[in-house]
Amino acid sequence: MTSRRGFIAGLLATGLAPAPSWADLGGPAFLAAAKDPGGRYLLAGLSETGALRFTCPLPGRGHAAAAHPHRPEAVAFARRPGRFADVIDCRDGTHLARLEPPQGHHFYGHGLFSRDGSRLFTTENDYGSGRGVIGVWQVTQGYRRIGSFASGGVGPHDMLLRHSQGGDQLAIANGGIETHPDSGRARLNLPQMRPNLSLLSLEGEVLDVMELNQELRLNSIRHLALSSTGILGFAMQWQGDPGAELPLLGLYQPGAAPQLLAEGDPRLRNMRGYGGSVAFAADDQSIAVSSPRGGLVQVLDTHSGEIIREHMLQDVCGLATANTGLIASTGLGQILALTEGTAKPLQHHDLAWDNHLIRLT
Amino acid sequence: MKHLLFALAASLALVTTSARADVVDEILDDQILPAMQALVDSSQDLAETAGRTCQPDAAPLQNAYSQAFDDWTRVSHLRFGPTETDNRAFALAFWPDSRGKTPKTLAKHLRDADPALLTPQGFAQSSIAGRGFYALEFMLYDASFTSAEPAEYRCALIATMAGDIATTAEAIQQDWQQSYAAQMRSATGRYQDKTEVKQELFKSLNTGLQMLADMRLGRPLGSFDKPRPKRAEAWRSGRSQHHIVLALQALQPLAVALAQDDDDLVTRLEAAFQKPILRALRLEDPSLAGVADPAKRFRIEALQQEVNDLQALIESDLGPALGVLAGFNALDGD
Repeated sequence: MTSRRGFIAGLLATGLAPAPSWADLGGPAFLAAAKDPGGRYLLAGLSETGALRFTCPLPGRGHAAAAHPHRPEAVAFARRPGRFADVIDCRDGTHLARLEPPQGHHFYGHGLFSRDGSRLFTTENDYGSGRGVIGVWQVTQGYRRIGSFASGGVGPHDMLLRHSQGGDQLAIANGGIETHPDSGRARLNLPQMRPNLSLLSLEGEVLDVMELNQELRLNSIRHLALSSTGILGFAMQWQGDPGAELPLLGLYQPGAAPQLLAEGDPRLRNMRGYGGSVAFAADDQSIAVSSPRGGLVQVLDTHSGEIIREHMLQDVCGLATANTGLIASTGLGQILALTEGTAKPLQHHDLAWDNHLIRLT
Repeated sequence: MKHLLFALAASLALVTTSARADVVDEILDDQILPAMQALVDSSQDLAETAGRTCQPDAAPLQNAYSQAFDDWTRVSHLRFGPTETDNRAFALAFWPDSRGKTPKTLAKHLRDADPALLTPQGFAQSSIAGRGFYALEFMLYDASFTSAEPAEYRCALIATMAGDIATTAEAIQQDWQQSYAAQMRSATGRYQDKTEVKQELFKSLNTGLQMLADMRLGRPLGSFDKPRPKRAEAWRSGRSQHHIVLALQALQPLAVALAQDDDDLVTRLEAAFQKPILRALRLEDPSLAGVADPAKRFRIEALQQEVNDLQALIESDLGPALGVLAGFNALDGD
């Protein structure tokens, strides 16, 4: 009897089959890590309206993921201090490869593919030196590690691929917080902490470094979003005393000064100092930031910088751009469309959705 | 003896009734609505008193302020619905004020002495940092404001601020009376079912405890090497310790009501509240200045620990009973 996989392999060998693509999956639009009721961790593919397209088990708690631009392959990253990144065939959940960070490094939970899909970049901690590192992996050689370079700061977390006239760039949120696996998630360098948003070439050349004022140096720049015109949205997490009144969201157009949003709006306090995920709405007119600690999403006008509305959602964290605007996920299993005014439940899964919803481009 | 028996019978009757009554109705009718009404009444009294006298040290004014601020503190954890419309809660209570916006705003008001600010509409549109109980505290208790010039304008500003507090309290109460209480009872619109309503109430319980541990206690405690007594809540009027007691006393019946018929949990919750309430009452440190005194500091730290224990108990034992699981994303960040 010929198995389906064997049959496809045969076709591939004869060069008759088209290369597999994301279309084979019935169009998943998002990736997200989750925990099931049995306490098992997994990576899931979701449709534009939040329906499950596939799930694939993970050996530990995941965080974010990266999708290959052409092949239906995704890399699920372990939550920091991550010891694995699993490459998954999203057609059937087959485990294709496991990436392990080099000795003395751990993953931070985010990464991305180059636009041609030939290379994978991962945010890492070289914890002996406390240096932030971007690991480079050759996809076409079975995800072989081919090098690394400095991330431009300490504690690189989220990272996005940004197109510019000079070519593609890595936009890296260097959160500024030094940790060491021996001391768990403890923050080791608050007195010296200085986060930044760095732009690097794909070869590791530093093109631009954005730092906020000294008084915001304890505001860890952690997560990023990219508008269709190349503006970066950055969400922050305050590491200083609770109760400080601070912006948690900013916009940055390289070459111009960063713009901090909703500064002075007392509703910023509802976020409890914690921006969890950030995403632009489909039309770029608004940008959203989630706070699982505050149990809400704030949607802000990208022009005025003002808070337009708040969606109160228990344990919300994942946010992504959706065709209709914005989509959110919660630790209670909900997937919601954040349309005007109300949060409209799309799906409820018996899963605890983890921090991020990753849009497949 | 007869009295005692009667009281005993009455309290027994109360217990049986409340065990049968809907927990949401009970919390609304016995706690939230009366507490909101008390805030409206005392805020109205504050506005009237401030209209008659603006002498910062006048006993009637200080008493009226104290009563209204007490009543706000008792509902300060109910941060959903009516308090969030038009930023009403912030208009009553802009604290903590890490950037010192409140004194800056008030100083500007006095410098500008703009008559338009003294109208209810004008004031309602002014910076939120200059409104509410914490701003009024500066005007009544901070030496740089109590005799600030121009005296006539200062006097009128105090009356305007008090009137604004009354208006805001009234607006909150109106929403509760006219729609929000009914929405919580019916649980068919804003809340899809009674579980969601209970979860909202549970969240407000947590909000109150977190505010207590992190803000009311945590901010002045700072660290051992760097205590921050001037960050204590309402230290100018010596209300810091008092607010801790008020908050705990307001949160206890809410927690107990949410625990419903689980007698064992009710007993444990009452014990877990009683410890910090007694400790807070015995602090003898109205403004929490003791955070900077090693001999007194440990008592405030012990109080914070008891509040943390209380939070842990509520999260582990009360939450699951209400279908609230520890937040997968909310608990620890990344």
